Amino acid sequence: MDWSVIYEYRELFIRGIINTILLTAVATVCGTFLGLFISLGKMSSNRFWRWICSIYVELFRGTPMLVQILLIHFAVIPSIWGLLYPGESSPEAIYSGFVALSLNAAAYIAEIFRAGIQSIDPGQMEAARSLGMTKGMAMRLIILPQAFTRMLPAIGNEFIALLKDSSLCAVIATPELNYAAMNVAKSTFERYPPYMTEAAVYLVLTLFLSRVVVRGLEKKYSTR
Amino acid sequence: MRIGKKWFKSLVLVVGVGLLVSACGSGGQQSSGTGASGSGSSSGADEKVYVVGTDAAYPPFQMLEADKISGHDIDVMNAIAEAGGFKIEWKNTGWDPLFDGLDKGTVDIGISSITITDKRKEKYDFSEPYFEANQLILVAEDSPVTKLADLKGMKIGVQAATTGEEVVKKAFGDTYQGLMGYDDMPSSVDDFFNGRVDAVVGDNGVLQYYVKKIQDKKFKLIKDDSFEKEYYGIMVKKGNTDALNKVNEGLKKIKENGKLQEIYNQYFGTN
Repeated sequence: MDWSVIYEYRELFIRGIINTILLTAVATVCGTFLGLFISLGKMSSNRFWRWICSIYVELFRGTPMLVQILLIHFAVIPSIWGLLYPGESSPEAIYSGFVALSLNAAAYIAEIFRAGIQSIDPGQMEAARSLGMTKGMAMRLIILPQAFTRMLPAIGNEFIALLKDSSLCAVIATPELNYAAMNVAKSTFERYPPYMTEAAVYLVLTLFLSRVVVRGLEKKYSTR
Repeated sequence: MRIGKKWFKSLVLVVGVGLLVSACGSGGQQSSGTGASGSGSSSGADEKVYVVGTDAAYPPFQMLEADKISGHDIDVMNAIAEAGGFKIEWKNTGWDPLFDGLDKGTVDIGISSITITDKRKEKYDFSEPYFEANQLILVAEDSPVTKLADLKGMKIGVQAATTGEEVVKKAFGDTYQGLMGYDDMPSSVDDFFNGRVDAVVGDNGVLQYYVKKIQDKKFKLIKDDSFEKEYYGIMVKKGNTDALNKVNEGLKKIKENGKLQEIYNQYFGTN
């Protein structure tokens, strides 16, 4: 077992950590926004929106993420690019990763939002409406702030899952952390050093997410 | 109480389905196992069946057609086994598990366009070479690139952990930012045509095969004479002389009787 390969390939690992964080951050932000609208769509009184958003959630929740990544990277994005900008290069692998992770996260986050919103007593909405608020105002000012507090643990869970799932982007040669470790393992024939390092870094990152980010948010939005 | 009953029912259902699925799985495995050993024992006494591992994602050397493994290396290995008089059983292991399988003894022989390198020789034994390979650079038709050094600063696609990658690493450093190591060769060529990499470096056999397949796209193949010639060998675990001798014996026979050349011509033309 030769641990010096980690130092030798440190650039690959550092670049990998940065890209892993980038992938998670982008997917978290985009996924949360998209997820909010999808959850509202699923609860909409308009049958068409309900239908579209339900299909979206079932599609992205019901197919493996690895398949989604491959499909988006090798098929969907090149075809769209071919139509929009004929002859131009498709965006790099990391953009496929952004898209795939965001779309996937949105499906899960939409369900978390729906659960959170529906857990708020309908009397809250009625009371807000009777005070003269519009439906949108009541949702924004009364329902969502309360629901958000309840959703935080589940959302934290999803962010951690997202961070780990970003490792799947290695199959499309996105230079993230898992790609770095696999690459080092393949080129050096060392197995323990690269994969143990990778696992340790993921653990540090997820611990940071759960202990610092999520706990901090929970404290901030605590109602107690 | 009602909830309890439902819970119990669904548990029974889940466990039942699980058992059924696993039973089917192991049943299938068993039948395929007996099938293989059956064909082995039909020829006579308790003959050893050598498990040959490959990564069937490297056309035209080894590929999957429907559920059958085929390709140049497959034909070569089958011819060797026939000439050498031993039984083999194919296993599509994938690239990394192939090396792992040899280490652990679940695979006896590996044939998968494996280049004979000093690094690999430390851990494995190789047969005599059965194919001479050199690296080619795939670039756009109007590209000014004429040699490997011209690729500096460009994005280069390779199959991870192959000689193509080693060549690029040697030229531009182990952690060269533009180096994209794909899981398989077709993916890197895909991304070349999608414009995500500027060039692909890989073995002549595979890239020449693409020239045949994709004639409507614009590209060219460049040969850099600074690349060392390489040879593909059949790999066994270090010290497994029994398997190695049998392979070398068969290989010698098909080299002498022209069968190896015949297989080559079938895949790469006569040039």
